[in-house]
Order: sequence, then C-alpha cells, then structure tokens
Amino acid sequence: MFPPDKLNVATQFAVDARGVRKRFGTIEALRGLDLAIRAGEIYGLLGPNGSGKTTFIRCVAGLLRSEAGTLTVLGGTPRAAVSAGRVGYMTQVAALYGDLSVDENLRFFAALQGVAHADERIAEALRTVDLLDRRRSVVNTLSSGMRTRVSLAATLLHRPSLLLLDEPTVGVDPLLRQEFWAYFRRLASSGTTLLVSSHVMDEASRCDRLGLIRAGAVLAEGTANELVARAGTPDLESAFLALAEAR
Amino acid sequence: MNGHRVRAVAKRIVLGFRRDRRSLGLLFVAPVVVLSLVGAVWGIATERAPVVVLATDRFSGPANVIDRFLASSAIHGRRATYDDGLRQLRRGEADALVWLDSPNATLHIVTEGSDPLANGTIGAAVQRAVADGLSSLGQLPGPKVVIEQLYGGADYTLLDYLAPVLVAFFAFFFIFLLSAVSFLRERTTGTLERLMATPLRRGELVLGYLAGFSFFALLQAIVILLFTVLVLRVHYRGNLATIFIVEAVLVVGAVSLGLLVSAAARNELQAVQFVPIVLLPQVFLSGLLIPVDQLPDYLRPLSAVLPLTYANEALRSVMIKGYELADPLVLRDIGILVAFGLVMAIGAVASIRREVA
Repeated sequence: MFPPDKLNVATQFAVDARGVRKRFGTIEALRGLDLAIRAGEIYGLLGPNGSGKTTFIRCVAGLLRSEAGTLTVLGGTPRAAVSAGRVGYMTQVAALYGDLSVDENLRFFAALQGVAHADERIAEALRTVDLLDRRRSVVNTLSSGMRTRVSLAATLLHRPSLLLLDEPTVGVDPLLRQEFWAYFRRLASSGTTLLVSSHVMDEASRCDRLGLIRAGAVLAEGTANELVARAGTPDLESAFLALAEAR
Repeated sequence: MNGHRVRAVAKRIVLGFRRDRRSLGLLFVAPVVVLSLVGAVWGIATERAPVVVLATDRFSGPANVIDRFLASSAIHGRRATYDDGLRQLRRGEADALVWLDSPNATLHIVTEGSDPLANGTIGAAVQRAVADGLSSLGQLPGPKVVIEQLYGGADYTLLDYLAPVLVAFFAFFFIFLLSAVSFLRERTTGTLERLMATPLRRGELVLGYLAGFSFFALLQAIVILLFTVLVLRVHYRGNLATIFIVEAVLVVGAVSLGLLVSAAARNELQAVQFVPIVLLPQVFLSGLLIPVDQLPDYLRPLSAVLPLTYANEALRSVMIKGYELADPLVLRDIGILVAFGLVMAIGAVASIRREVA
C-alpha cells in the first residue's frame, strides 16, 4: 500500500473545474464543464465515446490548456501539480517503450519522477499488478493486458496524490479488473484521489461519486444511487439515458 | 534543468537501440558497406587507357612519331581509315578517333561524347601520347612540368579526399533519420504524452535526445575512422579528438533537425520523405562532391547555410591538412556548427508543445 502525499490544505477539492472550455478547431470538446473531486475519493467520469472525458483528463494532466473557466488541481495549476510529481497519468493506450524490458521502462519513469529507492518501489508496483515475475521481459513480448498492468505500475511509482486513469480496465480480463478495483479502493482509503474515466456502466457503481458527461458538459453529479433515484430508473444505464434526454 | 532526467532520457535511447538490431546495423554496418564500395571505386588508380584510332588516310608523318604515338602507354593505339574509325567509335569499340590536319597543324580528336567526364580524360591521354610521339624527334614541346602539392600527394586517391566528408555525411544522414523516426514514435505511441505528464521539461527531453544520439554518432565515427584508416588505408593526419568535436557539434544539429521534422510528419513514411529534402541539397552543395568555390554564384548562399558545408571544410582541414582544433578556420567552422545546432535545438524544443494531440 502506498501512503498518500499530504494534500494541499488550501483546498478541500483535489480537482476543481468551473466553466472549463476547450475547442479543437470547429469542435467544442468541453462546453463549460463544472465538477469538483474531493480529496481521497474515487470519482468516475462516465460518458459515451467523444463526450470529452479524455480531453478533460488531459487538461487536468497539464497536457491541454483550457480556453475559458478555471481548473485547480491540488490547489494550484495543473502544470504545477504535474511538475511537483503529485499527479500520475495512465493514458488510454499503454504508452511504454516496447524495446525496453518492464524493469527498464519502470526505472526510466521512476527517474523522471525523481523516485528514491527505485528498486523497492518498482518491486512494490509490480507486485500490485501481479507482474513481478515478468520484470525482465521485454515489453513487446507481453500481451496487451500485461502492458496495461505495466502502464498502471509506471503510474504508481512516485505515489501520486492524484491518479488520472483513462479507461484503465480496457483489455483487462474480468478477474484482474476485479483486482484493479480492489487496489483502487485501497489507494483511495489511504488518501489518494482517483479520477477514472469509463464508458462501462457496471464499473461506475465502484466509484464514490460519478459525473455523467455528454457533449463536453456534466449532465449530473452524485453517487450511483443518487443518480438512479433522481432519474427514477431501475439502473444507472437507463438513468444516464433519461438524464441525457432531459437535457 | 535536471541532470538526472536528462541522463534518464539519454540512457533510455541507448537501451532502446541495444535491442533494435536493424537500427544498429543501419548505424554501423551500412556506412562500412558503402565505404567499401566507395573504396573499391575511388580508392585505387583505376584510370583505363582509352582505345584511340589513328585515321591513317587523313594523317601522314614520320613513321617513328606515329609508332611512338601508337605505342604510348597513355593509350591503346591502333590504325584504321577515317570511316572505319568512326564505325568503331559508334559501336563503342574505340574511345577516340584522331588525325592531324597538316596545313593548319591542328590535332583533331573525335570522341563518342555522351559522357562529358570521359571527354576530358581521353583528351588528356591523347595529348600525353602525342607528347610521347613527338619525343622521338629528340625535342620536347615546351618546358617539363613538375606539379607538387602542399597537402596530399601523388599517392593520394579520390577516396582520401572523400573520406573526411563521408564521415560527416554518414553521421548526419543516419542520426537525422534515426532521431526523426524515434521521436515520431514518441509522438505516435503516446509515450510523449506520458512524458509531458511528468516533471520532465521539454528542454531536458531534447538534451537527453542529443546526448543519447551523440553517443551513437561518436561510436559510428570510431567505426568509420577505424575502417577507413586501417582497412581502406586512407591517409589521415589529424587529431582524433578534433574530429570527434566536429562530429559532436554536427550531430547536435542533425538530432534537432530530426526532432523538428518529426513534428511535421504524421507517420514514419512521411518522415522518410524528408530525407531527400534535407540531405540531397547537402550532397550537391556542401562540397561533398563538387567544391563549393566551383558552384554557380546563385547557389553559394544556399551552400552557406548548410551544416555539412562547414563540417566538410573542418574535417578536410583536420584529416587531410592536419589542422589543429585551435586553427581559426576549424574554430570558425565549429562555431557555425554550434550556432546551427543551437538554432535547431531551440526549434526542436518549440516544436514539442504540451498540447501533443
């Protein structure tokens, strides 16, 4: 288990987005998005493909600049949080160096994050994703599920306060998915904040709170039960559809 | 700027190539193969004596002059009629048809003409044969000419002149290509996005790339130099350290240019299409094949902005003339290469936007 970093006391929110807008040419990817993620919670960003989930996560990771609105991450700008090594970003595709071994990849990312005692941290992260025995394997020889697990391990090395996980369970078998979520829960209970994007509704019930996002704006926010109750539907999927139509 | 992060990026590049045998082959084997070919073509005196037909029906003179002319080692001489000689020339059986227009004392040389380079060689060979023929009359047609050289010598071949510039060309070509493709992979596989979501700064990333590829460029230079000096027996007078310094500053420009090109390309095929745009002008305008002072005036400014122009001049000065690092010409060339590298590196940093989508 990774102990959490101390969260900036200036804010109670790990991520605070107000009226965030982002445009790519003629396409408006984020249209005044508002949401707030509390420290130590698992926040699920739920929505169909193209709804703006990845764009928002990339804004939080300091990779995109919003054109309007304010976005506070761990009490400062997104870039400041990233530069301080307090953010971990797991991309949708397992972005790793295929010619390097698992160990070499992790060692590289540990060096970039300035991780001390890299050996222990790498072993710890690999144990978490159940890949300790593949430490010497070249990444190109691994299955896509294994690469996703290595990618997650690379995100955990520096024990970030905020974990951004963009569809982390795509291509992961159901058993391992179960283990991932159990691990996410342990991280959250130790104080780490997790922002998880997904378009799979059954994963949503595992999050503390959800933001239903469509066409670059949040339709509704709350726990899964609250959203279902608000929509008056039997499940989350139909709640999402009902809330989308109500807009 | 964090040295640990720069070192991590450089190490990542070196480790990555360790398992990429094709790229390693491209770096180290390809130059050796090409140099072997260059050595075979230009490394030995391969001048072939041309076949020269003397048109006997148009030329008469003292028999001993004609005999000496035809027996000259500069040519393979034979006799034929003018018409037969022309036929041989057309069929490619002879390189030149020769006769003397007695009333005007004009020596006529007819060549096949489709190869302008061959014309000069044949003309010179015939003139040597004429001199041999006239020597039978007991007098030489003018003073004896002795040519001495400040640098090089009679035993220097074209390869000696080409080797220094090939060292520069290979370094630039392969390092440019590999850095462009490597960085493009960072962009297309998502690793660049991942790197940009870490504390790594753009300048640190470029510096790491420069350090990683400089390592390979210097290894390549060692392989090329050892091969040219020990196997091809190229004459070499300069200081090895000076050669490496010139190489290193050239490589800074090559890597940075590769990074810049990778920003303009969407895939590896497009990146490769930049090779002729970046390299062919340098092949023709940097003094690699044609001396810069023989270029047309309007091409000189273009030659003046190409990095290989200065690398070639510096490496020839060091390897053929034995100039030291402190020589003003070498220092000036290195200075210009450093400036080029800096401009390209700044451009490369600017090309890596945070918004990498």
